[in-house]
Amino acid sequence: MRRVARSLILHELSERTRDRWVLVISVLFAVLASAVTLYGRSAGAKAVGLTGPSLVTLASLFVPLVALILSHDAIVGESERNTLGLLLSLPIGRMEMVWAKFIGRSLALSAAVLLGFGSAGIFAGAVSRQVLWPLLLPTLLLGLAFLSLGLLLSVLYKRQVSAASAVVVVWFVLVFFYDLGLLGVLVISDGAVSQGVMRTLVLANPAGLFRMQMMEVFIGTQGLEQLGLTARVPSLGVLAALWSVWIVGPVLLGGWILLRKKVI
Amino acid sequence: MKSLSLRDISVRFGEVQALDRVEISLEAGQICMLVGPNGAGKSTLLKVLLGLVRPEQGELHIDQQMAVQDYAFREKIGYLPENVAFSENLTGWQVLSFFARARGVRKERIEEVLRFVSLEHAARRAVRGYSRGMRQRLGLAVAILTEPMLLILDEPTGGLDQEGLSVLWEVLRVWREAGRMVLLSTHDIALLERRVDQMCVFKRGRICARGTPLELREMAALPIQIYLTFDDEKVITRLRTLEVLSSWITEVEEKKEQGVFQVRLVIPSHALLDYVQQQSLFSSDIRGFRMEEPTLDEVYERLLEMF
Repeated sequence: MRRVARSLILHELSERTRDRWVLVISVLFAVLASAVTLYGRSAGAKAVGLTGPSLVTLASLFVPLVALILSHDAIVGESERNTLGLLLSLPIGRMEMVWAKFIGRSLALSAAVLLGFGSAGIFAGAVSRQVLWPLLLPTLLLGLAFLSLGLLLSVLYKRQVSAASAVVVVWFVLVFFYDLGLLGVLVISDGAVSQGVMRTLVLANPAGLFRMQMMEVFIGTQGLEQLGLTARVPSLGVLAALWSVWIVGPVLLGGWILLRKKVI
Repeated sequence: MKSLSLRDISVRFGEVQALDRVEISLEAGQICMLVGPNGAGKSTLLKVLLGLVRPEQGELHIDQQMAVQDYAFREKIGYLPENVAFSENLTGWQVLSFFARARGVRKERIEEVLRFVSLEHAARRAVRGYSRGMRQRLGLAVAILTEPMLLILDEPTGGLDQEGLSVLWEVLRVWREAGRMVLLSTHDIALLERRVDQMCVFKRGRICARGTPLELREMAALPIQIYLTFDDEKVITRLRTLEVLSSWITEVEEKKEQGVFQVRLVIPSHALLDYVQQQSLFSSDIRGFRMEEPTLDEVYERLLEMF
């Protein structure tokens, strides 16, 4: 990796960790995660069953939000401040710059997630190993997928305020309405849509992928079957491929669009 | 890098021909100023040079050799964008530190540059507390950090107060004396007249006039105004009998409080020598003399009308 890219990664990390909104939502996530684990610990033997799903819900709401806030202005923000041209006047390629920004902001996101789970870990006691450790990597992957989406939007929009509006819409659609939509499809079709199709549709959304993966961890296959869900989480290879597509795809697409732009 | 030229540059944005076969060249120690109305193509040309706009056609030549805007080229340039606004969360020092790390510049140079742009006292303050002029000086500091062979300044005078302008004049002086090059675009023509070697006037994507400010003045051939003051009105009557001079008299004003008469002459730029010869006939009667040359702004307006 070249000097400029390395410097940009550090710069992004340093700048993003100073962002008020990122700090506020990260601290809120940490406080709520701590509260959930503290409450769950009092449940004794049922602690894992209570704390795990609650933390999954919390992470699936907050982490995408932090990620989108972190990334929505990555390119459009520079462009509005007239510093995009200045950055690209350095010895760095457009694609390389997009990746450096992604990596720098990924480090900031990882810090936010670690702050949340770290503070929860203080209160988790013995539950920590069973709940927090299995959550950590998928939560980071979920965050990276949304970070990548936010970065793509920051390339597509010409104004930061438009990009900010777009990420709010994306967050609502993928985190809230997507599942409701699927439920609606099931109700309207009166069960005509097969479990396989539904499973594919769930996996087509990173938030759905994350929830499904974590449900199996905390409830287990039998638990899912008791809920009437026969769908299985894909194999590790397919999971890795799906997360890779969600994380790498939008960044690559964003970089490609920037590469093809005639005017910066 | 001793010389640089952009040849035959054409850029089209949809239906708009932003640049049409534009050529510019710069030698070491030269400062070139691009002027023209908004949208005439000045900033686009700077961006072509930076590799931020891809032209339909054209070539970059460095030291008479064809070149590309590769990383080695970018190491040699410093750029100040128009209305630059760095991240509000960072301090001036942090902004410069990033560019210094990215450019491989030692930390001591940051201190030097901060002193040069008179921002050493504000270096530890967040950029959000900076005035527009301070932000512009910070941008200038970023541009000169590596002492680049080529400085590209897009509207460098924007938002600068007198202190900021002094910093900019010093940058231009140092760059010229060190045998480096500066290419800048501006609307503040008059401010920069005596500080540039070459001027290119842009109009609708073409360079309609180029040369030193003096050459452009000659090209525009705008008249010169001379104000003469006399004690006696009879001198004016005598002036009117001088065949050549009489045609230049446009206004006679009696200044009652001072008890003098003022004559305004508008002389074609090429006829200044004729005037001097005529003046010898009545110079002993002149009580006051004032000459007004056209400003470079007026020259620029005239050139835009001409081409």
